[in-house]
Amino acid sequence: MTAVLEVDHLSSGYGSSTVVRGVSFEVQPRQVVCVMGRNGAGKTTLLKSLMGLLPFTGTVRLAGSEISGWHGHRIKAHGMVWVPQEDTVFTGLTVREHLVIALSGQDLERGIEAASSLFPVIGDRLEQEAQTLSGGERKMLGLAQALVVDPKVVLMDEPTEGVAPVVVEQLIPAIEALARKASVVLVEQNVDTAVALGSHAYVLERGSIVESGNIRELHAGGVLEERLAL
Amino acid sequence: MIAAGFLPVDSFNVVVLASVFILIAVGLHFTFGLLNVVNLVHGELILVGAYTAFQIQESTGSVVAGMAVAPFVAAFVGVAMERGILRFLYERPLDSLLATFGLAVIVRQVVQLLFSPNPRTVNDPIGGSFVVAGFNIPWWRLVIVLTMVAVVVAVSQVMTRTRFGLNARAAVVNPGLAETMGINTGLVRAGLFALGSAIAGLAGAMLAPINTLNPQFGLLFLVNSFLVVIVGGKGSLRGLIGAGVVLGGSLAVLQFVISTVFAQIIVLLIAIVAVRVRPVIGVRWGEWRQRRLRVA
Repeated sequence: MTAVLEVDHLSSGYGSSTVVRGVSFEVQPRQVVCVMGRNGAGKTTLLKSLMGLLPFTGTVRLAGSEISGWHGHRIKAHGMVWVPQEDTVFTGLTVREHLVIALSGQDLERGIEAASSLFPVIGDRLEQEAQTLSGGERKMLGLAQALVVDPKVVLMDEPTEGVAPVVVEQLIPAIEALARKASVVLVEQNVDTAVALGSHAYVLERGSIVESGNIRELHAGGVLEERLAL
Repeated sequence: MIAAGFLPVDSFNVVVLASVFILIAVGLHFTFGLLNVVNLVHGELILVGAYTAFQIQESTGSVVAGMAVAPFVAAFVGVAMERGILRFLYERPLDSLLATFGLAVIVRQVVQLLFSPNPRTVNDPIGGSFVVAGFNIPWWRLVIVLTMVAVVVAVSQVMTRTRFGLNARAAVVNPGLAETMGINTGLVRAGLFALGSAIAGLAGAMLAPINTLNPQFGLLFLVNSFLVVIVGGKGSLRGLIGAGVVLGGSLAVLQFVISTVFAQIIVLLIAIVAVRVRPVIGVRWGEWRQRRLRVA
């Protein structure tokens, strides 16, 4: 099977500070790959680099195309979307306007219907300014924006971080629904959530991959717990 | 008592000067208010508009044609600056400040080389005035007021009802997130700069018939443009209109009572006080709005 996302020796960071060092991995179609590691390991920096928000060295191929140097809008048009951990909404824009932007000219009514069927609260709050949503509702909006565009790859940064368990119960089925349609690179610190959703894991330490393999085997061998322990 | 002396004959000037303040600041609303570029070349974009009107008047005899072309010329100059230099400096505010200062000097010198430092005039396309209820209203000044209203309405509609406006509002708030949501933020920024420059050029062409042109013409408006945008609150069109009315109106009234220099000093003091109290008003407004949203 041809990998939908191929990352080869990617290094990136901020200014002169290198945060991600020579990371290589592949994501197969409809595979959920978990990127794990302690705070500061370089997980979010890796996702930002893949989305064109940070310059990097190395090569990244998305659905066969080399995307090094591409801007974020071009990467999204090529089928990769990002669900960030923080700063997920535009202040002053309504929920409906967020969906309009995400859909980029695709059928709005169909998109709203899809988002509402996944998260009814989104359908109820279309005219509400998105910054007035709760943290959990913002996560739902972020996931809905990714889901409605039928992406090839979704980069998801700690989607269950900092939200109530009752909201997590709603988010998990949505992530599973997304994983049935697209490949997912999931940054997740919660081992149980990662094991429940993922098939393969890469563990980052100081910007480098120190463990990789089947996530259940890594979990059974205690590797994940050991690597993620404070 | 003294102020009453100019009523009703000249009181329309209060409306005109408020309109001028708003018109010259709307362009800066885009480049400084939304794009965060301390755009010291804004005055020179007004200058480009004014001299375009002058040049076309000289070449074709039609000042109206000059006024129609001026926004496009200013937009072209603005976009060339943005694409050529300023787009690399959005994250470096001090460097962009220096760049716009340098560009302003270059544009002024080019205008001086092309047109000489001698004063030039642009004809009033309509001329004359009329009297309504004792108010003496020059036709061209009325056109300036109406143009200001049309520009503000058009800008408001573009920003709230078009896809470009939606993309622009998103890109201004969070450019990184906007990019990953599929918005070409480079194109949006160039579009906003073009719009701001075009409005500056239009303002220059419209104001040329009521002023004498020289290469320093744009500097007349630069400080007041920044005052209006800062007092109104960066990025707020409603605030800009309020600030234009208060500052422009105050200057017009004060000029009848005291000398222009003292009038400008008092307007600056008003601006300082307004900037000081605006955050408090903003907090109260935000609280009121949150309460309303919760009720809804």
